[in-house]
Amino acid sequence: MDIAVETKALRRVYRSRNQEVVALDGIDLQVHRGERFGVLGPNGAGKTTLIKILVTLLLPSSGEAFVDGLDVVRQFRELRHRIAMVSGGENVGFGMLKVKEQLWMFSQFYGMPSAPSKRRIDELLERLGLSEAADRRVSALSSGMRQKMNLIRGLITNPRILFLDEPTVALDVGAARDVRDEVRRWMAEDPSRTVILTTHYMMEADELCDRVAIVNRGRIVAEGTPAELKQRVQQNSIVDLQLSPGGRLLDTLRRVDGVTAASVLEQDGTDRFSLQLSNDAALGGVMRAVEGSGRQIQGVQKREPTLEDAFVKLVGRGMAEEEQA
Amino acid sequence: MSHPSAMRIFLKTIVARAYPRFVAAYRNRAWLITETLLPLVGTIAMIYVYRALHAPARFLGFVVLGGVLLAFWQNVIWAMATQFFWDRGAGNLELFAMAPTSLAAILLGMALGGAYVSLTRAATILLVASVLFGVSYSLSGLFPALGVFVLTISALYCLGMLLASLFLFYQREAWQLADAMQEPIYFLSGFYFPVRSLGAVVGGVGSLIPLTLGLDAIRQLILPGTPQFIPLSVEVLAVVAQIIAYAALSQISLRHLERRARQDARLILRST
Amino acid sequence: MSTAIRQWRGFKAATRLGWQISSNWTQPLVFVLYSVLRPLSAAFILVVMYRVISGGGANTAAYLAFLVSGVAFWSFVQYGFAGLSNGIAEDRGEYKMLKYVYTSPAHFYVYLLGRGLAQLASAVASALIVLVVATIALSLPINPLGVNYPLLLAASSLALLAVIGLAMAFGVLLLQARDAHGYGELGSGVLYVISGAIFPISVLPGVLGTIASLTPLVYWMESIRRSLLGSQAIRMFPLLSDTDVLLRLLVTTVATLLLAHLVFTWADREARRKGLIDMETNW
Repeated sequence: MDIAVETKALRRVYRSRNQEVVALDGIDLQVHRGERFGVLGPNGAGKTTLIKILVTLLLPSSGEAFVDGLDVVRQFRELRHRIAMVSGGENVGFGMLKVKEQLWMFSQFYGMPSAPSKRRIDELLERLGLSEAADRRVSALSSGMRQKMNLIRGLITNPRILFLDEPTVALDVGAARDVRDEVRRWMAEDPSRTVILTTHYMMEADELCDRVAIVNRGRIVAEGTPAELKQRVQQNSIVDLQLSPGGRLLDTLRRVDGVTAASVLEQDGTDRFSLQLSNDAALGGVMRAVEGSGRQIQGVQKREPTLEDAFVKLVGRGMAEEEQA
Repeated sequence: MSHPSAMRIFLKTIVARAYPRFVAAYRNRAWLITETLLPLVGTIAMIYVYRALHAPARFLGFVVLGGVLLAFWQNVIWAMATQFFWDRGAGNLELFAMAPTSLAAILLGMALGGAYVSLTRAATILLVASVLFGVSYSLSGLFPALGVFVLTISALYCLGMLLASLFLFYQREAWQLADAMQEPIYFLSGFYFPVRSLGAVVGGVGSLIPLTLGLDAIRQLILPGTPQFIPLSVEVLAVVAQIIAYAALSQISLRHLERRARQDARLILRST
Repeated sequence: MSTAIRQWRGFKAATRLGWQISSNWTQPLVFVLYSVLRPLSAAFILVVMYRVISGGGANTAAYLAFLVSGVAFWSFVQYGFAGLSNGIAEDRGEYKMLKYVYTSPAHFYVYLLGRGLAQLASAVASALIVLVVATIALSLPINPLGVNYPLLLAASSLALLAVIGLAMAFGVLLLQARDAHGYGELGSGVLYVISGAIFPISVLPGVLGTIASLTPLVYWMESIRRSLLGSQAIRMFPLLSDTDVLLRLLVTTVATLLLAHLVFTWADREARRKGLIDMETNW
């Protein structure tokens, strides 16, 4: 199968006056042409650094990376014709330009003839429901509309490989769904197109990606289709416990016999524990630990594994906890 | 795989990058106040310094012509050289850098877009200050002076590209350094007095800035009685040489520093 | 008591913030160069301009001292006026924190005063170094032991209060503009022309001269020169005694502060009414 993106022992170290941060620690990756490939991990995992290297904004400290068969270090000029990147929360461009003008401007940096560029812009504005905002100033757009505009910017030049760096961050549910729908539609138009998507939303990776690499602390901890990754925790029972707030209980639960992984998320005044149990009998030990903590049980349910559970099993803790570490 | 030629992308980029500046000048006309009054006020202050000293009329002309070229220097520094600092903070620099265009084209587009404002600024200073203070010029030297002006501005924009490549590498320091360079440049370039007054050594150092020789040449052509720094023909040749030298240096510097910026992650970090 | 403590804490934080913003961007040495290079160059521009006309003959020291003293102390106005008025616009547009400051318990006046004083502190080094370097290089008749410090301090305190007041009013007025870029410099540029900093105001034509004589900065400049140079000072108001000059400075300062307060109050109310305190100014 044709390889669209390949990295070999890719490493990137940031050095400042007193500090050295290893953002990528030997990434080996292959993305096939026509794939929607997700890079999933908590904030600070190295996802954005990886993308920045692949789109030629950053040089690796060591290792190699090839995009569309071209070396990102030596052949970056040729490569830039073939790729585009859209980041989430972008506030780029110039506020006083109208949407159409801004999009046209960026298309010119790729040498697109103006007439086809404008036609393509109109078409994409229509598809993303922004036709009525075409003559509105960029500064007057809502964040959802702005991100759709940013996505259009990435699509106008018909890149062979599209890089999306947290494209739905800070968007409401409707706007995020529109962005994902457009990505799917764009991919369906031409099977040779490839999308690399970074996200820390498990649901997004699960829904949108053909294959996912889970990244943590600069390393790939697992790679596969969402189903394959969830399969890793399939043999476990996944139990969600909603408890009243209280003292530290997570470490206690992790030590219970039969609990293979545990994470917690505080939400709406409730602590939601997700536990992976090697067997259902372990639930007894869990309940005794909960009883001993004095907390009230507000809900218990068994459910199917998600990518979040795969992450917890691989890393040992939840994404939110990993970000705080 | 075919794609547009580098020259086509270069030219389209210049036009596209100039476009927001033209639009801004049209849609937000508040600049008419600050971009014309501010330099005019500065020029008037210096004219009054000479008035207080009962200086000959041509000295007022020195200040006016200095103010005219100062308008373009300001454009080069603030609309070109330090612009990447603002673009990095806004996230635009990433998009410019990863497009298959050149940063030189982006810079030239900025300069072209800002030229409209600079020309307005320069024309305001020239007309208003000359009329208010009764400054007259020798018309016989007008066309050669315009020619020298075009050469000087070209050299200045090439220098601007070189400075932009240096400023690409620095963060907030770049903006502050550009600010700190203002008065030293006014001094070294002889904006308000004949360059000859600086002497050979200081004047020689100042001549590295295209404005110095260009301004002196223009004054020699249209303000009779201007003390000559070096012969006019030598000054013109030197400015031409500066165009070539700064254009070449800026290309080398932009490429080299873009690579360094990719290495040190200076294209992508948000500035404070 | 608790209100006073809150205001004091707000003032201290604002002063520290103002200082950090104007000084934290690079190595201290480079910051010093920046604080010195600009005013020294400005001073030498004027020196060369004067020398070109005067031919560097005898009895030029007094006029050079006139120029240098004006430029040296003008740093305070530049930092204080342009620095503070631009700072307000920056707090809103670039740092997007004006709304948080505005809605905090510390009075907005207190915050701005702290910011302004920090800007003025940044100018102290500039002014001192220009005076020292120029006095030595140009053999100016300035003797540190002969300076009338009480006059200098009294005059400077009054004038800089006026500058801060003007800057605060101007800065809040600038909130009306979506793009306030350059207005701070424009304002200080206008003051430069009518302040007598680099030429006697007698050179100014009718109306301008009258306006200049109503500003505190003219009397401040006059007081600076008299305190530094004594009888050798070139005087813009030869018929006025030191006390008369100081009195005029006091009266014009009070008038300026009153006017500034009126403008500030109006502009503040308008900004709140139109929702401009947190207006997006992304260009």
